[in-house]
Formats: sequence, structure tokens, C-alpha cells
Amino acid sequence: MTTATAPAAKPRQDSIFWRRFRRSTPGRVGAVIVAAFVLLAVFASVLKPYDPTTDRNYSRILKAPSVAALWNPEVAETYRDPVTGRVNAWAAPMGTDNLGRDVMTRVLHGTRISLKVGVVSTLLALVIGSLLGVLAGYFGGWFDSVMGYLTDVMLAFPSILLAIGFASIFSASDPPLLIAGMDRLFALNSPQLVTAMLAVSLVQVPVYMRLARSVVLSIREREFVQAAGALGATQGRMIFRHVLPNSLSPLIVQGSLSIATATIEVAALGFLGIGAQPPLPEWGTMISDSRQYYIDAPWTMVFPGLAIFLTVLGFNLLGDGLRDVLDPRSTQ
Amino acid sequence: MGSYLIRRLLRTVLVMLGISLVVFVFVRSIPGDPAVAMLGERATPEAAAALREQLGLNKPWFFNPANPMDAQYPKYMGALLQGDLGSGIKSNIPVWDDLKARFPATAELSVAALLFALLVGMPAGILAALRRNSVWDNLATTISLVGVSMPVFWLGLLLSYFFAVKLGWLPPSARLGSEVNLEPLTGFYVLDGLLRGQPAAAWDALRHLILPAIALGSIPLAIIARITRSSMLDVLGQDYVRTARAKGLTGRAVTFKHALRNALLPVVTVIGLQAGALLGGAVLTETIFSWPGIGSWVYDAISQRDYPIIQGGVIFAALIVSLANLIVDLSYAALDPRIQYS
Repeated sequence: MTTATAPAAKPRQDSIFWRRFRRSTPGRVGAVIVAAFVLLAVFASVLKPYDPTTDRNYSRILKAPSVAALWNPEVAETYRDPVTGRVNAWAAPMGTDNLGRDVMTRVLHGTRISLKVGVVSTLLALVIGSLLGVLAGYFGGWFDSVMGYLTDVMLAFPSILLAIGFASIFSASDPPLLIAGMDRLFALNSPQLVTAMLAVSLVQVPVYMRLARSVVLSIREREFVQAAGALGATQGRMIFRHVLPNSLSPLIVQGSLSIATATIEVAALGFLGIGAQPPLPEWGTMISDSRQYYIDAPWTMVFPGLAIFLTVLGFNLLGDGLRDVLDPRSTQ
Repeated sequence: MGSYLIRRLLRTVLVMLGISLVVFVFVRSIPGDPAVAMLGERATPEAAAALREQLGLNKPWFFNPANPMDAQYPKYMGALLQGDLGSGIKSNIPVWDDLKARFPATAELSVAALLFALLVGMPAGILAALRRNSVWDNLATTISLVGVSMPVFWLGLLLSYFFAVKLGWLPPSARLGSEVNLEPLTGFYVLDGLLRGQPAAAWDALRHLILPAIALGSIPLAIIARITRSSMLDVLGQDYVRTARAKGLTGRAVTFKHALRNALLPVVTVIGLQAGALLGGAVLTETIFSWPGIGSWVYDAISQRDYPIIQGGVIFAALIVSLANLIVDLSYAALDPRIQYS
């Protein structure tokens, strides 16, 4: 009897997660959107190789999206090959910008940057914030008080202002070693973008500190943790084997929602000119560039923004779906 | 309640102290020499040194062994407590004067954004909760999802492109048309126009206010709709609501008298917590719509390394956020008599 049920236990546990997740409409839609963007990011160079420094084409400045050629004869004229007389509706499906660059190629390669930056900044904040929060919640006392005070101070700043402040400190021409190192590590080729990423990450740290602390406070008193203590487990073992694994669900849910926030905020810093710098195809920076000519060429602003919107929507939906699965009590 | 109040106020003061310290260190860590920024790149080293001396920038940050009070932080705190935030480096106008002049613009925009968010978000949330899983519920959920996922600056540009450039219905920037002559009274231009008996000016100010208010209000709207819905659903499932229905009260009385009033507590919290989001969003919205408020002012100051302005603006923003948090905490007691403070 025992031999029959034991092997079945493991796959059944996995399938509960998946069965619940598949029942959650937001989770499914979010997962599809996120997966689509991840695939686009991974295969960007295969789909369309791109070098942001040699992509100019001055014979094709601020041209409307070429797909419009299918129904708009005026646009079709601008994409007609003078030799063969044929119209290529896929020449620049999202139009071109003020330097004749293909907007779609840049949006496609921007996916890489935005996903990398969103995920890395969230992971950093999640690891640092949860660790501090777990320690504060578990040990209490003066450490908890100091951390609580720091959280209060940091949360009093509007996050974008704190990020602006942090990003402007390190925007010097020779970046500190840490930033230069991370720049290499994640192949972002922009110290300013790394600074923006760290700024956005820093702003998220107190959120995880509070969340982890509150979860730990409730778990610390549960019987299985008390039992582990009574059996002589060390403090480190109790924190990392018993408390932390049982605190993960809300942190994972928050993580998915934070990637959404981080993506928007990094783009916002790029838009304000303190994140990624041109010619890097970062979405916020592209929108910032387009401010000079979007009145005549709205597609230079619409498509990068749509990419931000969809990515953020995807991660928000995924977060909602994960909450349905991992934390069903909080779902309404 | 008395001792709670004192502890809560003490915490606010301590947080303010922490904020002043963080801003002090941040501002002094921004690369570039403010003396050079003031005098221009061609200033002689002697002139720059003299100016640093005059501004007190050559003093140690926190502690001067020769004279404990003769350091930058004690001087800065002393001035701060007297409401002296220094003067803008480029303009030489006292920061406090600029702040006073620009605050009404940001306040008017934030109030309008919050009103928009409340007027759309709360009914949407209530309707969604009353007709759960209906078309209305799905619509409200979709609106709130789109609202939190929409980058404010993109929404601002889209609104300005469609409604100002394409359709020409509303103006794309500034607070008033250049031909309108309005003497400020409260600094809220819509109100000023009405108070001064210039309905045309009030109408013009309102038209300028609509697009930035919608852009800035989009995130609060989404959050308010979501919280109202879940809070209403929570309350509608309570026993006393069932009791009220069972004793024969009309649906409307139950909804508005029993359910809504009790469902509002989390909504009030969320409104208070939006103060930070509004001020942060104001940086982006004001930049896009050339709105002469605190957000665009701080943003310009950062690009010009105007320390006193950054310092003053950020401290002011953090002060507003801490005050909003304080008010939220205290208003709990007023709204929910069950909460006892000790």
C-alpha cells in the first residue's frame, strides 16, 4: 500500500499547481504574453540582426508604418520600389524614425533590454529585501526597529524621485566599479542603464522587507517551527529550512508584480533622460527621442509604448494568476 | 488615544529627520561642482573657491573638530527649521518662494486627478462587486488592469496626440491660454476664474486641466477601482448584510448604508497612500504637459544640478507623503470606532 502511493505523491503535487494555474484566466493570458516576449527577446538577433550604431538610412526618414500600404495608397507610394514597381508592405511594418531607423527592429531589440533590466532589478530587490525582512521578523529587537525606521524613511519618498536622485548621483562619465562590473555581467552596454536599474531595485527593497517581515512573524509562531526549535535546530537552519521556504509564495507573487513596476520605472527614467542613453533601443528612451517629432510621426511613440504596456500587462496578469494559485485566500 | 497620538507624531518627526539626512547626503553626492555650475565653465579656480567658501561648501559635512556647529549639516538643519531652504543657484530666487508659487499648480492637478480617479474608480468598483462576474465586473477589472499597466508618460503623449493635436478639442500644454488674463487668488485657476467672476477663464483653465489630470489619475483610478471592488465583495459577504436583507430592507439601503460605509475604510487608506504616487507621477505628467508645478521644477533642477531646489523639492514631497500617511492613520479612528488605540 505504501509502495503504491508514495511514488504517485510527487507528480500529484505538481499537477495541483498546474491545474489551478490553468483554471486562472489572468494567469494563462499573462503567461502567454510573457512567454511571447521572452521568445522575442531570445530570438531577436536571429529574427533581425541589429547594430544600434550602423542602422541609419537617411533615404527613409519618418516614413509611416509600411503595413498601412495594404489599405492606404499614399503610404504604398512611399514604399514602391522605383525599379521593380512593387510595394513591400513589410519593409518597415512599424514605420521609421528621424534617422530612418526601423522602429520594429528597435522595439524588438528593446525587449531584450527591458526584460533583462526588469528581472534583474526585481531579483536584486527580492533577495536583499527578503533577507533583511526575514532577519528583522525573526530576531525582532533593535535590528527590527532600525530596519522598520529605514523602511519608513525610504517609503516616504515618491519612488520615482528616489530613483531620480539615486540615478543622478552615479551618472558620471567614469562609473564606479560595481556599476561597470554589472554592465559587463549583463551585457547592457550602458552604465546609466545599470544605474537606473539599481535605482529602481533600491526603491523596491523596502517593499520586500515589509512583506517578508510580516510573513515571517506569522510563520515563526507556527507549530512546525516551534517543533524544529525544540528538536534542537540551529537558528540558521530554522530560518533557511523552515521559515523561508514557507514564506516564498507571497514573495513570488509580489516578484511578478514588481517586474511590471520595474519595467515601467526604468522606462520612465529613460524617458526623463537619466536611464538608458540613445542610441540604445530602450523603449522609454525611444519615446523620449520621439517627443521632438511625434506630432508628425506618432508611430515612433505608439509602438515602443505599446511594447511597455503589453510587457507590464503580461507580468501583472501573471502575478494575479500566481496569486490565484499560491495564495488563494487573498483572491477576491 | 493620547499616547498613541504622541508616539505617532514622534515617529513622523523621526522619519522627517531621516528624510532630511538622506536628501542632504544625496544632494551632496551628485557629481559636478555647484560653484562651477553657478559661475560657468570658464570661471577661474580662485573664483570657484571663493564662492564655495561663501556658500559654506568647503566645510565638513557633519562634524568640524574645531567648532562642532560649524559644519554643513547643522547649518542646513538650523536653516531648514526656520523654513529657509536657500536660494536657487541659477535663479537666485529663494527656494521657498518658488515652492509656494508652484505648489498650487501641482495641488490643483493632483486634486483633479484624484477626483477623476474617485468619480470613475469608486462607482466602477461598486458596480463590479454588486454584479459579480457580469459584463460590468469584467469591464471594471479590465480598466483597473489597463490602468496599472499603462506607463503614465505614454498615456500622456497619446492623450495629447489624439485630443490636442489630432482632434484639437483640448490644449496640449500650460495652465491657461496665452490670451487669458487671470489674476491668481488661490492659485487654483479653475477656482480663481469662478471667484473673480471670469467664467471664460475658469473654463479655459478647466480645459487645460483635463488631459494632465486623466494621465495622472490613471493609476490611482485603477487602484481605487480594484480596492473598492474587493472591499465591497468582502463586506457584502458579512453576516450583518445578510441580516439587513433578511429583515426586509431594500437593496439600495443595504448597499449604501450597510455595505458601502463599511467598505470605505480600505479605500480611504488607499487614497491616502496615493499622495506619493501622485507627486511622483507629477514629475512625468508635468514634464509632458509643460505644467508649471513642482514636478517639472525638480526635474529641471536635477538636469542643472541646482542643489537647493532639488533639496527643497524632495523634502517637500516627502513631507507631504509623511503627512498623508499620518492623516490616514488618524482618520481610521474617526471612520471606524471599533479601532482602539493604545
